[in-house]
Amino acid sequence: MLSTDKAVVVHEIRKAFGSVVALRDISFEVERGEVLGLLGPNGAGKTTMVDILSTLTRPDHGHASVAGHDVVADPAGVRRSIMLTGQQVALDDMLTGRENLVMFGRLQGLRKSEARLRADDLIEQFDLDHAADRHVSTYSGGMRRRIDIACGLVVRPEVAFLDEPTTGLDPRSRQSIWDLVSDFKEAGIATLLTTQYLEEADILSDRIVVIDHGTIIAEGTADQLKERTGATYCEIVPRDLRDLPAVAEALGALLPDTTRAALTPTSDRVAIPAPDGPNTLVQAVWQLAAANVELRDIALRRPSLDEVFFALTGENTNSSGGRHAVAEVSS
Amino acid sequence: MIDASAVRLPVRPTPSTIAQWWVLTIRVIAPTLRNGELFTQATAPIMFTVGFYLPLKQIMGAVNQGMGSYAQYLMPLIALTAVAYAAVSAAFRAATDAVQGINRRFKAMPIGPLMPLGSRTSASMYRCVIALTVSLVCGHVIGFRFYGPVMHTVGFCVLMLLIGAVLSLLGDLIGAANENPEATVPILLLPQVLFGLLSVGVQPVERFPEWIQPFVRDQPTSQFVYALRALAGESPATPGDVTWSVIGPALAWVAGAAAVAIPLHIRVASRRR
Repeated sequence: MLSTDKAVVVHEIRKAFGSVVALRDISFEVERGEVLGLLGPNGAGKTTMVDILSTLTRPDHGHASVAGHDVVADPAGVRRSIMLTGQQVALDDMLTGRENLVMFGRLQGLRKSEARLRADDLIEQFDLDHAADRHVSTYSGGMRRRIDIACGLVVRPEVAFLDEPTTGLDPRSRQSIWDLVSDFKEAGIATLLTTQYLEEADILSDRIVVIDHGTIIAEGTADQLKERTGATYCEIVPRDLRDLPAVAEALGALLPDTTRAALTPTSDRVAIPAPDGPNTLVQAVWQLAAANVELRDIALRRPSLDEVFFALTGENTNSSGGRHAVAEVSS
Repeated sequence: MIDASAVRLPVRPTPSTIAQWWVLTIRVIAPTLRNGELFTQATAPIMFTVGFYLPLKQIMGAVNQGMGSYAQYLMPLIALTAVAYAAVSAAFRAATDAVQGINRRFKAMPIGPLMPLGSRTSASMYRCVIALTVSLVCGHVIGFRFYGPVMHTVGFCVLMLLIGAVLSLLGDLIGAANENPEATVPILLLPQVLFGLLSVGVQPVERFPEWIQPFVRDQPTSQFVYALRALAGESPATPGDVTWSVIGPALAWVAGAAAVAIPLHIRVASRRR
């Protein structure tokens, strides 16, 4: 019943720890060579999902398969097909980077000479030549993360699980991890990437699954998510903020009543829904020009994934929620 | 900086269990050769010999009960202390593994669930062999000798290593469950002092206050000491009384500890939350 051309199939997975429900009826699929971003705040259930798919945790209900192997019935098959890097770097601190690579190579069944060659290869690829023979306990955060991922690549995985791989990294190290994820994709390795960084999910993922409190609350491409939770809007900043009432007056029917009512003396801009995109903007410019209001800025904006995320998880503190959040006046 | 060839390796080989066990054992042993642990393991029995023997031999010499020398009397406790010390290192190592998250990673790899424990245990045996060897050399220096037949000498060494193995299993279990290397060592030192000093290893049971004598006589360290003394013999004229009533309790303690530790280890190792 499970189709083997999917790299990961998750069907109605449920998991509770005591009375705490970590996952409720989660279903999604990852194609071969696809990068799926699992996006959610801390405690959303992302790591539990990764643990189930990497056979570290048994689901209470539902089924899941990785590279065609059922996670409950054939955990050994799953373990032969995956690489897992957790939120915590998992290396032997008492060994050098090179020794760790050789050890993981040999544990994966490479002969000693093969494991050494592969280690040399990965050290070069991961730009660790200068540190290969130092204990990994002396490595920086970015270097530890790189060698951790390299240890997962001593043999080719069919599916890679990267659980918050860039948490706590400096921008340069983060960029090198991002490059690596692109390489995974090129090599046809399916990747499940969990992250709480919207930017990361946006840049790297082919598709994004947003989970919160153990439930999928949205799914689709970054563009689809942006469309779904907030249409394009037009943001207007007058040259003189004291002109704001005049702006509101001039916009007339373009400005929804709720937004008009929310305007305060401390507001610094007005945002209006722009269902017709540029046409709405032209209309606004025309009306404002007719009223002789001088503008500092007027632009079409699409909600950032951050705003989408806040709208979906209801964690936006300064709004009444939903799609109108972005159409309201910022204060 | 990472080009696509980093993720290209076509063949996925089948790992061999024996190779994995060896690699994981070497993983634990290799650092001991360069971080000073081997040196510490080797000098500990010398410290225990000097620390016990020098201050106690004058006091105890007068009361030892027909033993050829106090060295003969004290040697089993020195060796036991050295082996217990090795078990503490095993616990420290297990706790370090647990806290570093490497156990979690091994569990998601094609490695048998008991393989990490098995390899840590074989590394512990390496520590125990060092502890026993150095203890025997130290014992020889202060006058300890084997007076029984060769089989008794072999029995002495095998019993010591069995004790070392179960102590390491227990230490490993506590370390793995505790996941805190710094807290694990004090937890294990306390029973070591308690069971070491309140035993017949240093002085005969009659020298303890009467109310505590049952504990001193029956606790495992004393039972081990009785068995080891019998296997070593007392003097050329009295090669030691090796009977089941002397050896049996020691073996029963070893078997009992293993019977408790191994199922708990299997539970911890194969645990999927």
